[in-house]
Amino acid sequence: MEDNDRVTALEVLDPGHERPGYWGRFRTRILKNAAFELARRREVARVSVAAVLSGWSRSLIPVAAAAALIASIMIANEARQQAEPAPRLVLEDMLGGALGASSFQAALGAGVQPNTAAFMTFVEEDNR
Amino acid sequence: MRQRSDAELVTQARCGDREAFGELVKRYQRAAYSVALSVTGKHQDAEDAAQESFMVALQRLDDCRNADRFAGWLLAIVRNRSRNLIRRENLRSGDEIPASASSSGPGPDRMADISALRGRLKEALSTLTEVQREIVLLHDLEGWKHDEISERIGIPSGTVRSHLHFARKALRARLAGWKDHT
Repeated sequence: MEDNDRVTALEVLDPGHERPGYWGRFRTRILKNAAFELARRREVARVSVAAVLSGWSRSLIPVAAAAALIASIMIANEARQQAEPAPRLVLEDMLGGALGASSFQAALGAGVQPNTAAFMTFVEEDNR
Repeated sequence: MRQRSDAELVTQARCGDREAFGELVKRYQRAAYSVALSVTGKHQDAEDAAQESFMVALQRLDDCRNADRFAGWLLAIVRNRSRNLIRRENLRSGDEIPASASSSGPGPDRMADISALRGRLKEALSTLTEVQREIVLLHDLEGWKHDEISERIGIPSGTVRSHLHFARKALRARLAGWKDHT
């Protein structure tokens, strides 16, 4: 008997060889018997997912609440600052205040027209 | 459609996916039966052991640490269940593969031939060691390659080839002349 003949011969040991649908019925029987265990596993998986979410929520909810509180305080502060704008300080005002524009006019005396020469004189005297 | 790996199917079956477990059964039911038959030598016992093994595998699926090696893990369960079955039961009589109930099956003469051949094969297989029977059935009946058998039953590929060689030689000697008789 050659190898190929024997391989063919071994097929008679396959219960599906003479009985069409044998393996389909074999699988169906196993799945029928496995139904309870599969259902139990689905339930365990479902409960596990819920437990994980619940576990997360226990730590996440306080953190989220604190973050929301901080964010709301920051937004409120920002809004208050926008409602009361800071007084604008113009450069000319600052320069004018520093030089004391009124003292220049006072030094010239009333009725004197300010001109370049008078201003230079005032500055030189002020520096001394 | 891409064929899902054993690992994917095992992961899904762990969560109770009926379709995934059904695919694992479909993929390995013949191999499980062959291994069980190689141990018990009887159809009914092999069928029972293979079916029970799938149930045990499902119940212990979380113990299958390397899901990629599900086949080897399953076949180890089948082997153990089959040995336990032999040990604990008085083997039933009348265990031959029952004749086909199908009216479209082979006729009486053909059935007689098949029955005779089956008897000779079982007798020949019984002279082999358990591992030789398992390898020759997985290779010649299920069509598994040397490397697949090696990986799944956990012995070196060279040893698989060696067992297969001696198993075939023994079968050839036992079945010599069978064709001449039929």
